Amino acid sequence: MPCAEGSRVQAYFDAEVDAVAAADIERHTAGCPECRALLEDLEATRTLIRREAHYGHAPPLLRERITRMLDQETASPLQRQDRPRLPAWRTRPFWFGALGGIGAAVAATTAFFLLFATVPDAFLDEVVAAHVRSLMPAHLTDVVSTDQHTVKPWFAGHADVSPVVADFTPQGYRLVGGRADYIDGRRVAVVVYQHGPHIINVFTWASRHGSARVTTRNGYHVVFWGAGNLEYCAVSDAGWQELQGLVGLLRALDARDARE
Amino acid sequence: MPHLDAAHRFARWLSRSPGEADDIVQEAFLRAFRGFDALRGSDAKGWLLAIVRNCHASAFRQEQRRAQVPLPDSDDVQLECATSDAAADPQSVSIERDDQRCLERLIAGLSEEHREVLLLREMEEMSYREIAAVTQLPIGTVMSRLARARVALKLQWLQESAGEPHAVR
Ligand SMILES: [Zn+2]
Repeated sequence: MPCAEGSRVQAYFDAEVDAVAAADIERHTAGCPECRALLEDLEATRTLIRREAHYGHAPPLLRERITRMLDQETASPLQRQDRPRLPAWRTRPFWFGALGGIGAAVAATTAFFLLFATVPDAFLDEVVAAHVRSLMPAHLTDVVSTDQHTVKPWFAGHADVSPVVADFTPQGYRLVGGRADYIDGRRVAVVVYQHGPHIINVFTWASRHGSARVTTRNGYHVVFWGAGNLEYCAVSDAGWQELQGLVGLLRALDARDARE
Repeated sequence: MPHLDAAHRFARWLSRSPGEADDIVQEAFLRAFRGFDALRGSDAKGWLLAIVRNCHASAFRQEQRRAQVPLPDSDDVQLECATSDAAADPQSVSIERDDQRCLERLIAGLSEEHREVLLLREMEEMSYREIAAVTQLPIGTVMSRLARARVALKLQWLQESAGEPHAVR
């Protein structure tokens, strides 16, 4: 005959009871052979599963497949049009939700990855420190220009990579200039934009492994993404949607450059 | 994507083959991505596993519709762990000797209802409440299923152990 307390004993075993109930169940178990045997069985099956079970990682190929799929999912609304200002997402409202604008796809992706990604703390500290440093007088830019044809060639002599540069003043993101900076021992290219009162630093370095991630540090929003051989990182105290707006424009520009 | 491992593990336990598990996980990530707005609260893992579960269920229904005859249950895992007629004292059989494939075989012998609650509890270490959220079951049902699943696993294990000593390598 199984003891009527069996269910409570299981809950106790699974740490689902409070301290008072736990003490009560322990008192009962001390005098009940059935429940002691039950506890032993529970422990044995748990040991069996946890010791022998396969805790392995998902196959790398599967991870790749999913990353590629989500990248396509993000890119397709942007690629299906030539002029980013006529957003195709209007026809696909099911997951863009309230996040309007050209950055919608990216906003959805990055919000998604927010739950799934971690960024090494030290690296994040450096990026945010570089952003804060840039806000001090005379530190923001090495080359001041709202003309992409001035900023872009400047990087050729001052940085190891050539990021996408454009003035998005009509969309609310004014090109301020460019700067060379050091992050994690690497020389990085920085393109500076202004959105209302907010400065946005967009860092770029060579990396084949850039993936979409978002996070926050010290109140600054940080967005990472990859394009071709480059990894980008935008940092600002602007709101998420405002920052994502610029990220969306830059990604659309990159996608267009890649096709040409 | 840290939850990818958990999603894959869960799909692997629920489904019949590694390939099928991969497809289920991929489909689940796509659905999760598209339905991102539907995530309420912060339990992203539970939310994702619930989607994996739904994907598995719909893949299973599709397969049933396609198949004229029920698919055979057997695969190499089963052959590997096939029980012999020889009887042995179950007490003498140490669980360390059962290798991973045999555990897979044991768990595969459970019903899907039992399998999922057991894995969510013991492998993913989810609380009753979290398991209830993934499986869409009342907590009381989670508890009773879990109890039955544990008994079923123990019985499978004793049965399997009775077929020793082939598993000793
Ligand atoms: Zn008792």
